[in-house]
Amino acid sequence: MLSAIVVVGPEIREGAKSGFMSEEARAQASLSPARVQRATPLVCVEVLGRSVLDRMIEDLQRAGVDMISVIGNVPFAPACDGSGSRLKIEMCSAEEAWRRATQQLMSNRESGVEGSLVVRLGAYVDLNLENALQFHREHGQVVTRAFEPEKEEPLDMWITDPSRLTDGGDILTILGVVEPARYVAQGYANRLDDPRDLRRLVVDGFTSRCNLRPQVSEIRPGVWMDEGAQVDRSARIVAPAYIGRGVRIAEECLITRCTNIESNCEVDYGTVVEDSSILSNTYLGFGLDISHSIVDGNHLLNLERGVTMEIADPCVIRQNTNPRQDQDCQLSVASDFGGAQVAPGKEN
Amino acid sequence: MLKSGPVVIMQMPEQLNLDGVRTFQQELEPLIECHRPRIVLDCSQVRHIDAAGVEMMLHCLEEAMKRDGDLKLAALTSEAEVILELMRVARVFETFSTSEEAVRSFNAIPAEVAPQEAPWYGDAFGDLGALKQAS
Repeated sequence: MLSAIVVVGPEIREGAKSGFMSEEARAQASLSPARVQRATPLVCVEVLGRSVLDRMIEDLQRAGVDMISVIGNVPFAPACDGSGSRLKIEMCSAEEAWRRATQQLMSNRESGVEGSLVVRLGAYVDLNLENALQFHREHGQVVTRAFEPEKEEPLDMWITDPSRLTDGGDILTILGVVEPARYVAQGYANRLDDPRDLRRLVVDGFTSRCNLRPQVSEIRPGVWMDEGAQVDRSARIVAPAYIGRGVRIAEECLITRCTNIESNCEVDYGTVVEDSSILSNTYLGFGLDISHSIVDGNHLLNLERGVTMEIADPCVIRQNTNPRQDQDCQLSVASDFGGAQVAPGKEN
Repeated sequence: MLKSGPVVIMQMPEQLNLDGVRTFQQELEPLIECHRPRIVLDCSQVRHIDAAGVEMMLHCLEEAMKRDGDLKLAALTSEAEVILELMRVARVFETFSTSEEAVRSFNAIPAEVAPQEAPWYGDAFGDLGALKQAS
């Protein structure tokens, strides 16, 4: 039996809080849009239709993991697609998350689980989980740790045999006691340290630099439109672009240059959106010109100028007042790519 | 308010919302109502402009132009630039990095000296009158 423990939130060890963000990333945090200000991890933000967390859960299910525990700062409950995996969500603080993860690992040991994946979800990495598990079995070491491609920096993903672990301290200490086998992931990695990385991930997805793709069919080359999206005939969508579930694009709008408009957004008459990410449930007023930005509700982050603004005028931009509750269909679409997402880590 | 010759420099408030607009417009309107008003709005303290603020700026520009004058913006903060671009009005105004530059731009070609009836083609096509006669 295989189990996975997915911790969402920063790395916090017992006795000492070690911030996972670099100084630069900390400075960037002041540029973050609302969801980041509300401390929602970027891995939980919808990107091209689904969050990195949703994609991770699906990858774990595809890799044959029987029991998945998601612990930490999860703003919504990801849905299970009924593939046979048991999915347990525990919403709690970062400190509490690591304590619960340690308990879960110990519980796995007691119940005779053969293999446990421990993941701190903080970055997007194209990782083949089946290969990683195969690598762990072949090397026969107690712990295997994944490393970032090219730079070979450690990622916060471990595969372990719980029965061979020794007691003592928190989960990260337990996993760090033994020298791990190094599994170097082959593929794209994006640390998602700040919202600029989120935008870069979208562009890299559109330009095929990574396996992240909208999981809906293209209505024409490079233009993806999710279910329930309504685009007026006079609006123009220039590829590559993604129009999410339930999005409404009004007359004379122009959506262009790697723009993604996530679920339940509304773009009003004549607005131009260029090289921007519009996060879910956002209303964009009429006659606007939005470029090089991330917009989340009434928060706008202009990446070109490095300015975050809260727009008080609801006629300009705002949180969509009547967002649809559609989280239950998050995992309903089958995917055909083999990516996994794990966090950057610290060398023990 | 600061006067630099015939040019008036006005400091814009930090928040140009509905309340701020009323006060600011009361100060600005008498200046616009003169002949050939030359106004520089110093935006170095602006942190937020809402739709009412943008509308007021456009109205003042229009009124100034009606009277053969102009309204220019100086020292725009990043926030002001982002909002003006967002609302598609950034290109309507002449903008300068400092108020001094904006003032100088008014003085570059004194309106009294600038030819009012100069033909648009200048001399680029030679003597068009002679050409017409020859044909």
